Amino acid sequence: MANRGSNRTRLLWVSLLVTSLFLITLDLRGVNVISSIRSGTQSILAPVQRVGSNFLSPISNLFEDITNLGRTNSKIDALKAENEELKSQLVLNQNIVGELEQLKGVLDLAGKARFKVVSARVISKGGTGTFGETLVLDAGSSAGIKRDMTVIAAGGLVGVVKSTTQSSSVVLLMSDPSFRIGVRIAGTQDMGILSGEGEGKFSLRMLSATGQLKPGDVLLSRGSSGDKPFVPGVPVGKVITIDNSTGQLTKQGRVMGFVDLNALGVVSVVVGNVGGNPGDALVPRAPKPAPTVTVFVTPQPSPSE
Amino acid sequence: MFLLQETIINQINFFVGGFSLYLAFFMAWIMQEERNSAVVTGFIAGFIADLSPTLEAPFGLWTFILTVMSYLLATNLRAALDAELSPVTMSIVTVVGSTFALIAFLVCGAILGQEVGSPAYVFQELCGNALWALLLSPIFVPVTISAYRATLTARNR
Repeated sequence: MANRGSNRTRLLWVSLLVTSLFLITLDLRGVNVISSIRSGTQSILAPVQRVGSNFLSPISNLFEDITNLGRTNSKIDALKAENEELKSQLVLNQNIVGELEQLKGVLDLAGKARFKVVSARVISKGGTGTFGETLVLDAGSSAGIKRDMTVIAAGGLVGVVKSTTQSSSVVLLMSDPSFRIGVRIAGTQDMGILSGEGEGKFSLRMLSATGQLKPGDVLLSRGSSGDKPFVPGVPVGKVITIDNSTGQLTKQGRVMGFVDLNALGVVSVVVGNVGGNPGDALVPRAPKPAPTVTVFVTPQPSPSE
Repeated sequence: MFLLQETIINQINFFVGGFSLYLAFFMAWIMQEERNSAVVTGFIAGFIADLSPTLEAPFGLWTFILTVMSYLLATNLRAALDAELSPVTMSIVTVVGSTFALIAFLVCGAILGQEVGSPAYVFQELCGNALWALLLSPIFVPVTISAYRATLTARNR
């Protein structure tokens, strides 16, 4: 009797396994029904994610804040004084101010390059179990966003649109392990391939054996045919170290992105490129040193002399 | 639980890796199920996990993994453990089970051509998930047990 029950379980198990393998096969063969199931889910989830994002935005970085507590102890006194000053300025909600700053930054960047953009709020992130790095935006195809469009923030490149629904889009972040982008070094124009490695890390491999690479080099997107998936000239990151190990045909290095992908509130999707290739115009400028005021004092003869 | 994972848990920046409450809840739930219902639950839970719009793996991969996991847990592992599961045993099985499921997902994904990232990144994600599952198990394991008992009562009625 128990054996019969065991056989029945096994039969059920095998039939469910076959069904799941059938689903995988359908997806790998590109059957539309499967992808539309995920799009449908995103359409349903987007409004709930939007509410969750509004509710959680003040505490989503709680764990990072806790880990940084030790390092910030020395600044507490200075911050207390600054806090008093800031309190008087807190008329608007802090989150909204932060988002406005990000929006201003990204619009400045887009304006300089003459990109036509659609701005959107980040409402969710991809989760554990996906081994991927993604974001969900609150704007979709109804706002003109399509698959394979470049996504930028104030600092530069964020990623590329992976899929859209009418009211939301999923963005593949540049730190995702599957992300690759052709880049060129501002100035020398040497070309390379930048790869995401997860958790905000990137590696760069030059295409040519003669390509030069040095720490501090700024990387810009090379652009794609028809500007999809990448528009040209967007700042991507800065070379921080060079891998000098022998036996490599081309130079390799580690790169730091210009955008903090964990602190994105507002981003822009490039829906059109009016100005063509902006060249090196978008390279972030180093902060200008504050002008030194020199006062010349001419000694005046005293009346007693 | 899927909704909770997608709308709330995913938005929290855990300082080591991340945490899949959905997977942990599933493991704790499946430990209490009968064999037949465990397999069906595994299939349904996997199908729901595959609906995640941020997932890049082929649709059906989580269905496959969780169906296999549910069978292994409900038959082989469950038979080896005591009839009355203590919360500590459930916590340990939950941590190990969810880590094993993630590794299986990773390996199957890699076989199907998915990019999996550097070993350090994968290690950090796996360790992060295990750590958070262990730390938060005193909260979600009792909740899962209560939820399961509540459904049992409904079924008996």
